[in-house]
Amino acid sequence: MNSFISKQFPMNTMSRRLLRMLWPLIVVPLTAPALAADAVAAPSTAAADASSGAAAPAAPAADATGTTRSLDEGIQNLKKDVVDLNKDLFVLEEELLFPANTQVAVFVSMDVGDFFALDSITLKVDNHDVSNYLYTPREVAALLKGGVQRLYVGNLKSGDHELVAFFKGKGPHERYYQRAASIHFEKGVGAKYLELKITDHERAQQPEFEIKDWE
Amino acid sequence: MSGRRYAFALGLALAALALAPAQAARKSDRDKLPSIRVQDLHYGEVLFQFYSGQELQALTELEAFSQWQRMPHHSADADLLAGGLYLQLGMHNEAGARFERLLSNNVPAGVRNRAWFYLAKIWYERGYYERAEQAIGRIQGPLGGELDAERVHLLVNALMRQQRFDDAIALLKGWRGSSDWMAYASFNLGVALVRAGRLAEADPILSSVGTLNTDSAELLNLRDKANLALGFAYLQADQSDKARIPLERVRLNGPYSSRALLGDGWARAALGDYRGALTPWLELRQRNLLDAAVQESFLAVPYAFGKLNAGAQSADYYERALSSFASESDNLDGAIGHIQEGHMLDELLGEDKDARYGWFWQLKALPNAPQSRYLYAVLADNDFQEGLKNYRDMSYLSSTLRHWDDSMQAFAAMIETRQRAYAERLPRADALLGSDRPAKLRDRRAAVGSQLDAVETGNDAPALGTPDERAQWGNVARLEEQLAAVPPSLERDAARDKLRLIKGVLYWRLDAAFKARDYEQRRSLRELDAALEELQNRWVRVQQARQTVPNDTGEFAARIAALAERIHSVRERLAQASEQQNQYLESVAEAELRAQKQRLDAYALQARFALADIYDRGADQGQGATAPAPPPAPSPVPEPK
Repeated sequence: MNSFISKQFPMNTMSRRLLRMLWPLIVVPLTAPALAADAVAAPSTAAADASSGAAAPAAPAADATGTTRSLDEGIQNLKKDVVDLNKDLFVLEEELLFPANTQVAVFVSMDVGDFFALDSITLKVDNHDVSNYLYTPREVAALLKGGVQRLYVGNLKSGDHELVAFFKGKGPHERYYQRAASIHFEKGVGAKYLELKITDHERAQQPEFEIKDWE
Repeated sequence: MSGRRYAFALGLALAALALAPAQAARKSDRDKLPSIRVQDLHYGEVLFQFYSGQELQALTELEAFSQWQRMPHHSADADLLAGGLYLQLGMHNEAGARFERLLSNNVPAGVRNRAWFYLAKIWYERGYYERAEQAIGRIQGPLGGELDAERVHLLVNALMRQQRFDDAIALLKGWRGSSDWMAYASFNLGVALVRAGRLAEADPILSSVGTLNTDSAELLNLRDKANLALGFAYLQADQSDKARIPLERVRLNGPYSSRALLGDGWARAALGDYRGALTPWLELRQRNLLDAAVQESFLAVPYAFGKLNAGAQSADYYERALSSFASESDNLDGAIGHIQEGHMLDELLGEDKDARYGWFWQLKALPNAPQSRYLYAVLADNDFQEGLKNYRDMSYLSSTLRHWDDSMQAFAAMIETRQRAYAERLPRADALLGSDRPAKLRDRRAAVGSQLDAVETGNDAPALGTPDERAQWGNVARLEEQLAAVPPSLERDAARDKLRLIKGVLYWRLDAAFKARDYEQRRSLRELDAALEELQNRWVRVQQARQTVPNDTGEFAARIAALAERIHSVRERLAQASEQQNQYLESVAEAELRAQKQRLDAYALQARFALADIYDRGADQGQGATAPAPPPAPSPVPEPK
């Protein structure tokens, strides 16, 4: 046994053998550019903080093999097909359920929001409740960033109608606040869009609620 | 940087991209993008979905609203946002194509450059280094702020990934930046020089990073990494004496300390200092056996004891190593068996599976499963994480399509109901449409109009009197006729005078009210005209509906059937792709565990040989043999990929 091992691993080449054994460990820090990628990643954190949202390189990537690339390409194509299909389904649903000649859509927008923290909105069309929506903080934030929510989509026949919106939330001084706004509108042949606008009235230090009829 | 922060940063960037109106006036202030004023409600709705974190819904609506042309004022913004959303959803090929199409015209240079920069980073992340390099090449002029430094380092990394070390060296040698960035630049330059076989040039550069005076956790890690890289480079170059210096600079509590301890021990051993080598190796031996460096220390320690002629201690350590390796090997067998059962990904994703999707998602916690503790190395691999994201995305998309599948059935039922209702109402509708009632009503209206014209022309005030007045006027006319037939007399004359007076008074009243009554009649006629017009419109709509409803419902039915078929087909493809991804990821995980097991088995084999050798030598000594020969060094073992 002793002689066998000695033949296999002659002592005079120990250092070389050690290094051969250590080579896999050397490979990790040196042969893979992961180290370099790591290096880029770190300072960019500070960079991102300091430069108002500039994104930084993320974690290192291993070399993409042919197999994973081909699988990834296939999955990307499949995802694109799903997105296209999803769009076609959305179009079908809306055209089927809310045709343009009867469609009425109510949107919500919010500007500034210093004097009002939105909790919920209730909608009545021709004195019938059509929507009662409770907002999450994320949705409120989305409104404050400039998003406009399509709160309600429905169908109405041509003619005169009335929309009443009840806004609930916290007003100035953290007090419970409820206000209503209403509009009489005429539904014509095309789709009708109405916008509930919540804005701050700086001089009155109060929120303002109005409904805009988008002709 | 965490995935979430990166997501937020990129999210902001995408938002900035999307919110940048393409106005020439802003070209002078290209990095400062004003907040958007939404001019199309539907674009605002897309932004609402995007800001709410509903990227798929935002993209779906964006594409649908674009098809309906509901965002005429934001078409450029919408296209840019679509590119960003495709990126977020992991479809970087589509995103790249969109950006390439869109970023050519009417976009401020600063925005366009940033778009290419972020695109380059995404391609780099996904392993498309050539594309990342090309995207960086599309950037014209400075990006501003820290982004310029990031751009250079991204390019360096892309070059190094392509084994183009000389290009990376050339780029870094002339580059200057802030002190933090310079540390990373030096590190990258040092690594590139080592990889290019220029160790002597790399030494002072990596040493400068390895001796950084800093409190920053990130820079401390970089410092350790530089020292480790330099130390192992020297070990590889048979210069163990030079290797020790950087290796001993690596912090003992840092993430690279195990490898540094192992390397330090081997450097000392190579110099013949086995007693000194025992110090780092014994420290290393106390650590987690899952670490390859720790496993190796289980052999290195008895090897060093053997070299120091401490045979009993050497044998004891080999025995303990064998026991530990055997136990760990059994655990690995159990974990491999568990993976082969085929539930690894579902266990990894847990309840999170269908909840969310997107490119920025990352698995942060491992489930409490037998294989979990062995999978950390796999999970650290970018390919595996990308594969896991894809698997998860497909699971989410499949669940979305499942909901649509249910809706398709409801839509089909709705169309069927409409067709039935149409068939029921058709006879009544046909009867109504055959009656030609609008024409008759229009004739009547024309007659009434002519009457009024005649009244106006003849100034026929009595015609517009009230029923009483018209009755009174009729009575007056009748009495006049009767009086005309009466023979002349005083009474007749008196009666005629009286009647003339009454008639005069009556006419005066009628005439006084005539204009107002005529106006009223005209107004009524106008209202009648409006009603007739509305009636005509409705009539036309009913006629059109009579013709189009069968086609519309038929068209909807055909669309529903076609979409249902597409859903079915895509769901099948999703299932197949998920299965492929599952198998691929399980094979990667299993290969990793098998490599770990193989390494342990190889170590165990060496330990057995070494142990046998010690016993052989012990036996030789017992038989009066000469001085014992030193034990063999551990042999190289395969390293997991």
